[in-house]
Amino acid sequence: MRIVLDRPRCEGHGLCEEAAPDLMHLDDDGELVLDREEISDADSALANAAVRVCPVAALRLV
Amino acid sequence: MSTPIQRVVVVGNGIAGLTAADTLRNVGFDGKLTIVGDETHAAYSRPALSKALLLDGDDMSSHELPPTTHGATELLGVRATGLDVDRRLVTLDDGAALPYDRVVLATGSRARRLSDLPEELTLRGLDDALALRKRLAGRPSVVVVGGGPLGMEIASGCLTAGCQVTLVSQGVPLILQLGPYLAEVFGKAALERGLTIVETGSARLDRRGGEAQVVLDDGVVLEAELVVTAVGDVPNMEWLADTGLADQGVVQVDSRGLVRPEIAAVGDLAAFPTPYGLRRIPLWSSAVEQAKVAAAALVRGDDTPPLQFQPYFWTEQFGLSLKAVGYLPLDGEPTYVEGGPGGPALMRWSHDDGSGAAVALNHRIPIPRLRRVSQMAG
Repeated sequence: MRIVLDRPRCEGHGLCEEAAPDLMHLDDDGELVLDREEISDADSALANAAVRVCPVAALRLV
Repeated sequence: MSTPIQRVVVVGNGIAGLTAADTLRNVGFDGKLTIVGDETHAAYSRPALSKALLLDGDDMSSHELPPTTHGATELLGVRATGLDVDRRLVTLDDGAALPYDRVVLATGSRARRLSDLPEELTLRGLDDALALRKRLAGRPSVVVVGGGPLGMEIASGCLTAGCQVTLVSQGVPLILQLGPYLAEVFGKAALERGLTIVETGSARLDRRGGEAQVVLDDGVVLEAELVVTAVGDVPNMEWLADTGLADQGVVQVDSRGLVRPEIAAVGDLAAFPTPYGLRRIPLWSSAVEQAKVAAAALVRGDDTPPLQFQPYFWTEQFGLSLKAVGYLPLDGEPTYVEGGPGGPALMRWSHDDGSGAAVALNHRIPIPRLRRVSQMAG
């Protein structure tokens, strides 16, 4: 499983970082950085939560 | 939790119900999960309806959410008509009855209306937004009734679509929600963009010819080709009338979102404990956080940490983008942490109880940082 960011959609809310701080963070300019794109089974619940909480659906799992 | 949980029914397919379903799976519930939604659409992002979806030229996807992964049976276009708490049954308007071991009440709320006139448009669901978007293409003259965030976002969208727009507000727009300082910032931006603001004590709708008109408390009549109202929301509680769970128009829950060990209520219909007493907080992040805690508590009970919620609110209107962490409205002047009046800024307010709120205006900043700023010593 891989996490994919649709950057033009991202509004920099950062709710995903709150849901899964080990997988992603927003940098000082508010741009989302994916710290881990390949998602292991152990992290899939966290990744799902991060994807789900985004109000503009800028993240998806493929 | 002596008997195993085999069947969970989630009533409501908004972000609260959806998050509850996801969370049930995350905490290990692998039994039969059913979601009931009264709209035929897949779950969508409601905040987008009054923002990008009204504005966008071609992009009609700003409200769409990723496909679900919870593997629930989804009953869409079906409305719950009753809950039998003794026999543990959810009854539906198609005649079916769903037995449950645990149930999540997440039927949300609907727009409060000022009339029964079909000419009165409201914006609550996806169909409402699509209908409004279609009407705006003809660039009608518009009166928006309601000076809260939703009314202001709608007014902003109508202006951007090229309409002449009058906003009718009980008092200064946004002052009740944001406080005087930010209300002034937004009011100024709205006026600069060409919005006409009419303050009134009250307003009612009437009909003349085939069009709705707005009658103000002093008898002045406002006419427009399109009348949209945004005067609050009403929790969808009718189906719970005989359950004893409805209290003052809401479902009151504990700090884990539970009404009883087998019944959770989350989202816009639930009043949960806050520093200011039991409150409904009908916001996106509120629905998500409530649902996470309550769904876990349905499975794990008191082992679930209680909800510790700090509100997150955002709005986009009249060229301004605001993100706020903490309880609103905000009294008095802010401290500017970054920037200053008139430009991109990061502001902080202190409440009397020692808590704080942080607001970013036209300033892209991650929420975790906003949270830290809100918690700085004032």
